[in-house]
Amino acid sequence: MAKLIVTTRDGETHTLEAPTGLSVMEVIRDSSISDILALCGGACSCATCHVHVAKEFADILPPMSEDENGLLEGSDHRDARSRLACQIRMTDSLSGLSVTIAKED
Amino acid sequence: MQTLEDRDYFTDYEILKDPYAYFEAIRAKGPIYQIPGRDYVIVTGFEETLEVLKNVEDFSAIIGVQGAAAPLPFEPKGSDITAQVEAHRTQFLGGDLLVNYDGQHHTFVRALLAPLFTPSRLKANEQFISQLADQLVRDAVTRGGCELIKEVSTPFVSLVIADLLGVPADDRQVFMDAIDAAPPPGSLESEQNDFSSATHPLVVMGSYFAQYVQDRRANPGKDVLSELANAKFPDGSTPDSGEIVRLATFLFGAGQDTSAKLLGNSMRFIIEQPGLQDQLRKDPSLIPQFLEEVLRLEGSTKQTARLARRDTRIGDLKIPAGTKVMLALAAGNRDPRRWENPQDFVLNRPKIKEHIAFGRGKHVCAGAPLARVEVRIILEKFLEHSAAIDLDANKHGPRGARILDYEPSFIIRGLANLNLKLTPAPGFVHSVRSAAPKAQRPAMVETVKGYSTAATKIGDLLADPATKALLDKHLPGVSSDPRIAMAKAMTLRAVQAFAPDQFTREVLDALDAELAKLAPQAR
Repeated sequence: MAKLIVTTRDGETHTLEAPTGLSVMEVIRDSSISDILALCGGACSCATCHVHVAKEFADILPPMSEDENGLLEGSDHRDARSRLACQIRMTDSLSGLSVTIAKED
Repeated sequence: MQTLEDRDYFTDYEILKDPYAYFEAIRAKGPIYQIPGRDYVIVTGFEETLEVLKNVEDFSAIIGVQGAAAPLPFEPKGSDITAQVEAHRTQFLGGDLLVNYDGQHHTFVRALLAPLFTPSRLKANEQFISQLADQLVRDAVTRGGCELIKEVSTPFVSLVIADLLGVPADDRQVFMDAIDAAPPPGSLESEQNDFSSATHPLVVMGSYFAQYVQDRRANPGKDVLSELANAKFPDGSTPDSGEIVRLATFLFGAGQDTSAKLLGNSMRFIIEQPGLQDQLRKDPSLIPQFLEEVLRLEGSTKQTARLARRDTRIGDLKIPAGTKVMLALAAGNRDPRRWENPQDFVLNRPKIKEHIAFGRGKHVCAGAPLARVEVRIILEKFLEHSAAIDLDANKHGPRGARILDYEPSFIIRGLANLNLKLTPAPGFVHSVRSAAPKAQRPAMVETVKGYSTAATKIGDLLADPATKALLDKHLPGVSSDPRIAMAKAMTLRAVQAFAPDQFTREVLDALDAELAKLAPQAR
């Protein structure tokens, strides 16, 4: 199974089993980590699953939709590696993906 | 004397009027409370509710529809009843609906919905929503008032979701009639909580959606239903068509009461909070924040439920497997440990969007973005076209002593009716009825033609004794098969695709030959 490495807001790192097809948001939400609100449940509507992805993965992720871009625009903590975790679906080639949960807006 | 907390939430019409007083009486016993003499636990704490919603391993959503008071279809045994729950899943009310699903199957089916309510999709529908809202509100203002729930709110939300899902205009009235005639979800009269009758909206609408899905799978277009009908699960597999039918039908039903009632609850705040309607009229950009505070104080879902499937805990309280848990969302939204002055209406509370009116976690309401858009838009129209909105005192009594009827449901918090007086805005003109969308009952007279398995709906074949006799002759047992209630709006040739072994071409050809001998019928 693919692995997902998550760094929480207080700097702890967790390695999670990430079934292929699930979104990064779903994997984190269903774990013991409680930093992600994911208020809209994955409809790309709320920006409460904002993460920063590790540099080496930023380029191989699927491109951002206008919806995702628009929502991230509203965050004070956006940077070049910002993504919404609900928009990244785990694949085998993403195994080892490392994300840091963004600061709360 | 019976105290408030001793009364039965699930059947008591006094609690229905003011569930918040009941929840406060329960809260006084602690954030998690085992009701003496009853077999469920009530959670009124905000954090404790989140804890249960988040703990999807230990808590199953299987009793979401039937609620915490209804009996389980089995005797729980041992410290882990997961296998028992799965073995009896279809015996639970709504066991085959998304809201009751668990685990990966839930995640996969839920993923099919994610593209339906994105900002860009809703933006594309906003013109329709806006036109429809404008027409309904102008009509109401022209009349000087309206009964908000039945005349405006319900048709509005029905037509919005119908448009979004691509339900043909000719079929929309049938859906609205079925919903209109049905009891509310989570009825206080528990014998009404039965989805199997042929007139239940889920059954009526299901037969239509079965046709749409079959059609969109055969001839995919660019509409939402085509997208849904042909969507793949996240692992690349294809959902069976029944799954899509149930999902679309459920979406249609789920968006009904909750959104319609949210408009009613919002309107009551607009009328009763001093100065609020003028404030919102002056600055409509406050409406989204206003809606969030209404959702917190009076969201349209009072509670949901979970079943402990393993021995677990909520906070410090031990919860054995098999325990039914009622999550009082409306109580969590007024938890004083989370919200300052929780009973007060306060515009622009910090972190207001973290209320749990839509739930939280993997079952969080999928339609929340749509509800927010549609209710915002129609409220904008009401405020734009009116100078003043008030309740009809003849119907509801004077301010301070209102008489209000609530939908008799343990799930829904919503007014059964709300009679408004509307004073037109200065310069208001009732627009000439234009091309604005309007529900039209389809013409009932069809051309005279004969019966056939390709053109005649099964319901029509069953309605005529002559054709029913032929159906029984060629397809024994079909007319009494409960599943056929789902297919009454379909033709036999359409059903053939679902059950080719039962409805063979030979049998249908033979039936057609005999149907053709009957005299042409005017229908």
